[in-house]
Amino acid sequence: MNTWWLSNQILIQSTFISLLLALSIQVPLRAGVFSFAGIGSYAIGAYTAAILTIRAQVAPVVAIGAGVLLAAVVGYLLALLVARLSGLYLGMATISFTLFLGVLATNGGDLTGGATGLFGALSTLTTEHVIAITVVVLVLLAASERGSFGRRVDAVREDPQLAVSLGVDVVRVRRRVFVVSGALGACAGGMNTLLRTTVSPETVGFHLVVTALTIIIVGGAMSWAGAAIGAVIFTWLPSILQFVGEWQLLVYGIVVAIAAVYVPGGLLGLLQEGWRRMRRRGRRLPAEGAVAQTQAAAAVDPEKELAALAAPTTEVRP
Amino acid sequence: MAQDVLNALTLGSLYLLFALGMSLAWGTIGILNFAHGSIFMFAAFTAHLVSEEVALPMPAMIGLGVLIGAAMSVLIQVLAFEPIQRRARDHRKAELQIIVGGIGIAIIPLAIAQRITKSVPFGYSGGTFRVTTYDLGFVRVSNIQLVILVAALGLAGLIGWWLRAARPGLALRAIGVDSEVATMMGVDRRRLALLTMAVAGALAGLAGVLLTYYLGSIAPESGDAFLLKAFAAIILGGVGSIAGVVVGAMVLAGVETVVLVNTDGSWTPAIAFALIFLMLLVRPNGLFGRQEVRRT
Amino acid sequence: MTTTEHPGATAAPPVGTTVLQTVDVAVHYGGIKAVDGIDLTLESGRILGILGPNGSGKSTLLGAITRLVPLTRGRVLLDGGDYSRTPASRLAHRGIARTFQTVRLLPDLTVLENVQLGADLRLDRASRWRELVRRAVSAPVAEAIERTGVGDVLDLRPGELSYGTARRVEIARALAGRPRVLMLDEPTAGMNQPERIEVAALLRRLRDEGLTQLLVEHDVQMMVDTCDRLLAMNQGRHVAEGAPGDVVRDPTVQEAYLGKRWNRAADQ
Repeated sequence: MNTWWLSNQILIQSTFISLLLALSIQVPLRAGVFSFAGIGSYAIGAYTAAILTIRAQVAPVVAIGAGVLLAAVVGYLLALLVARLSGLYLGMATISFTLFLGVLATNGGDLTGGATGLFGALSTLTTEHVIAITVVVLVLLAASERGSFGRRVDAVREDPQLAVSLGVDVVRVRRRVFVVSGALGACAGGMNTLLRTTVSPETVGFHLVVTALTIIIVGGAMSWAGAAIGAVIFTWLPSILQFVGEWQLLVYGIVVAIAAVYVPGGLLGLLQEGWRRMRRRGRRLPAEGAVAQTQAAAAVDPEKELAALAAPTTEVRP
Repeated sequence: MAQDVLNALTLGSLYLLFALGMSLAWGTIGILNFAHGSIFMFAAFTAHLVSEEVALPMPAMIGLGVLIGAAMSVLIQVLAFEPIQRRARDHRKAELQIIVGGIGIAIIPLAIAQRITKSVPFGYSGGTFRVTTYDLGFVRVSNIQLVILVAALGLAGLIGWWLRAARPGLALRAIGVDSEVATMMGVDRRRLALLTMAVAGALAGLAGVLLTYYLGSIAPESGDAFLLKAFAAIILGGVGSIAGVVVGAMVLAGVETVVLVNTDGSWTPAIAFALIFLMLLVRPNGLFGRQEVRRT
Repeated sequence: MTTTEHPGATAAPPVGTTVLQTVDVAVHYGGIKAVDGIDLTLESGRILGILGPNGSGKSTLLGAITRLVPLTRGRVLLDGGDYSRTPASRLAHRGIARTFQTVRLLPDLTVLENVQLGADLRLDRASRWRELVRRAVSAPVAEAIERTGVGDVLDLRPGELSYGTARRVEIARALAGRPRVLMLDEPTAGMNQPERIEVAALLRRLRDEGLTQLLVEHDVQMMVDTCDRLLAMNQGRHVAEGAPGDVVRDPTVQEAYLGKRWNRAADQ
């Protein structure tokens, strides 16, 4: 192993873990569900992994898997409970759920170790495992963003009523999104606990909501790739920003504020927009207003369009 | 017992002052400002910085906090929320972006205050005002408690009356119901929005200064905790309802006090969260909330 | 009846068979009776037009028929079976497609992707996979694009389209699911005259191929030209019904909201 790898273990690990955490918010958001329950699931995964590892000395895959399963079930039940809520109200309800879990952890007595938390969750989980799991998750999510499935999720987000009229079971999509979000959050929480060997109420608090949100807002909320960009930036920014020293948090705040207000698509959105413009220029379409383009195209070829409308169809409609 | 009631009322009044502005902005111009807690803290903090230099009396300190709060709130509205509302494709997107933008902006004053104070709580020992307590036999009441109670209930009454009776208040309510129609009726939406944000910020600043006097000192992180309490108060009472936010703040403070008095207090923070969650499940419009009148 | 799951594969019933029916359908919002006791029958291979001024309840009725608006009273029947408790999303699978009064295309997808969205419910696992890997366009999508003549704008985004083109893309999306009943809510609103004529011609051709349609419009000329039968509504209530010429000449209909000039339109 080279020295860079070894000396940056912690940062490499937290890049992938914060990516998974951010995805637990990004996946619902992509389906138009403003839910922070993924952060609560992080706590569920973290504590489940710690308790199972310390008390039963189970293998890491069991410890993390149990947390993922539990969080998925909790996510499903939560989805049933909050089915009537949407938008802001859903955001508030799920934030409350998440913060409530934090208080629960503080008051869990011996099981959760109270305010000091749990220590000594030693396991054989390595950075390579974390990377492998994250890559599998990313491949699955990337596939879900393309083709028919991706389009239907887009429809659920942008126009649920339209999605219903196109045959998409919006309620079921929303429930699944809660389950996936729970599993992702719990996976991140479980892995983090086993790598750090410890968990406490402080490590699963409100600051995680801010972290996850900033990652996807700065990176771009509409794709896994945006979350990946954001996770890399916010994990490595502090070490790059060392020259600003104690003002680091301030820079962080300014970056987030500017991104949220002026770059709603995030860095990924900027990249995609640039890419699309380049391709368009390549095709030498007129550079003026886009509407003019279409009208021009229609004006050039009215005959062809009419012909298309009037063309006899070869297929016999059954 | 009487002492507990008085303390609960004071706490509720502080929640009320803080939540009043948030509820007003949310219920009328549709802006849920997550930086409200930061404004609250930073106004109190600026007053602290000034009091270190000049020994000011309480009214001057309050005036300072109110001004800083209003200025910050207006600044955020102009620099962040107005551009978002102008550019966003639809109402839902704008709502989400305003929340995220607010969370981002909230970090900035917090970072500055943490950097200067090194996260040590700050107070107004430099000012001329001293807290004195009067023993009434059955209860002990301090001068600052009286100020808080009078300010909170007085201002809630004033704003409630203003929304019902005064012309700009009526216009503001019209925006809350249907902003397009309100614009057609000649309501200057932008000016009213700025006014609302100024009032909201001023209330946050006032609450910040009074809380600092009441507790003796506050930490830069106090804003976040208050933000969540305010959500609970607003959701409990119903968004946009002044009577609702009064009741919500008092109920929250009451329940918290009861739990605090009868237990070791470790469950107290959960009350706000549980109230938000349960209320949203059972009655999303709150105790006093109007039905959604917005058309699709 | 399992075959309704794949209407593309069923044989079309003879023209004039009842496909869809509403019985005493009402939708009330509080005290407002948006739709109040409408009976209508949709016959296969025919176009039924619903005519009425703005606010007469046409779109609400369409919403009730497509289960997007809850019924206050009454029943809706498809192939004789009551579906007033069926989730709205199931209707698309039973061959009902619709468009909306306003343009509702997804802004971040290209025109092609928007049209594909309409066919997605028909994709089986294999073709989903083909599409994901090879980006192949399925036959129903290609056909819908060709019929509506939107082939030139496939790579554009909805925001870049003229209004008339955007509406044609919506019709393409509805056709891509190979529906057996097509419901259109003011499909030509905002179009210029040549575009309207094109769309009307397309709808008639689709009808001749056996596609049952429900058309909501307030362009009376288009309704008279296109529909086989008209139902006139006002203030949520049934006013008149019958052959298009008779309905627009009906004195109650004219007096209520059409104005005298449509007399001439019907005579042409």
